[in-house]
Amino acid sequence: MNKEVLTEKLKAIISTYAQDPAALENMTESTDFITDLKINSANLVDVVLDLEEAFDIVIDNQSMERMLTVGTALEIIEIKLSEK
Amino acid sequence: MIGNDIVDLNQALKDSDWNRKDYLKKIFTAEEQFMISSGTCSNLLVWLLWTMKESAYKVHARKFKLREFAPLKISCRNLIVHEHHAIGEVNYDEELYYTSSTLQTDYIHTLAAIDQTDLTLAKVMISAYDTSDYRSTGPASVSHHGKYLALAYL
Repeated sequence: MNKEVLTEKLKAIISTYAQDPAALENMTESTDFITDLKINSANLVDVVLDLEEAFDIVIDNQSMERMLTVGTALEIIEIKLSEK
Repeated sequence: MIGNDIVDLNQALKDSDWNRKDYLKKIFTAEEQFMISSGTCSNLLVWLLWTMKESAYKVHARKFKLREFAPLKISCRNLIVHEHHAIGEVNYDEELYYTSSTLQTDYIHTLAAIDQTDLTLAKVMISAYDTSDYRSTGPASVSHHGKYLALAYL
């Protein structure tokens, strides 16, 4: 899966929880889930679960710990996909 | 050093389905999951434990200048729950934090501190959220969720 497709899939998932539409529209790899997109921390778990379902991967706790930006999320998905 | 966290229970009901498969497993330790499933007030316990973790995280993150989303590294223990009040302790990377929580029909609020005495010294103001310049009042910790704003001063 190329990065563009992956980014679009990620964007679709986080759009459910992001409370700042402008930040979502201008999202880059450094966009922060909590401080920029204003995703509620209790919904970060939903993002993780949605990603697991959408990509059929398991995001372990160590990976989840650093999943705070679009960039790290993409990196983690890529790693987990390559391990399949 | 103190941290505080508020959950608007009506907002949480709309935004989060903690019955979702694997949801609790991602954020609560086995012991915490047991507490949630064994009582009759599961919803209350979910959000009580969550505010304990979040408030302790705020203190810990400031103290050690770190950012992470590691709810399973933050464990609640020695929790004593009364009708409208709860006290407990939170462990996070070998550090211990004390918590004091307020339980209301519409919200749950928790204050966490390194020094237990700060829990009684701190002043907490809970009000309807507005966009006024509350930061100029110098709160030590700010939490906003749903229709509530919680400011903690020390």
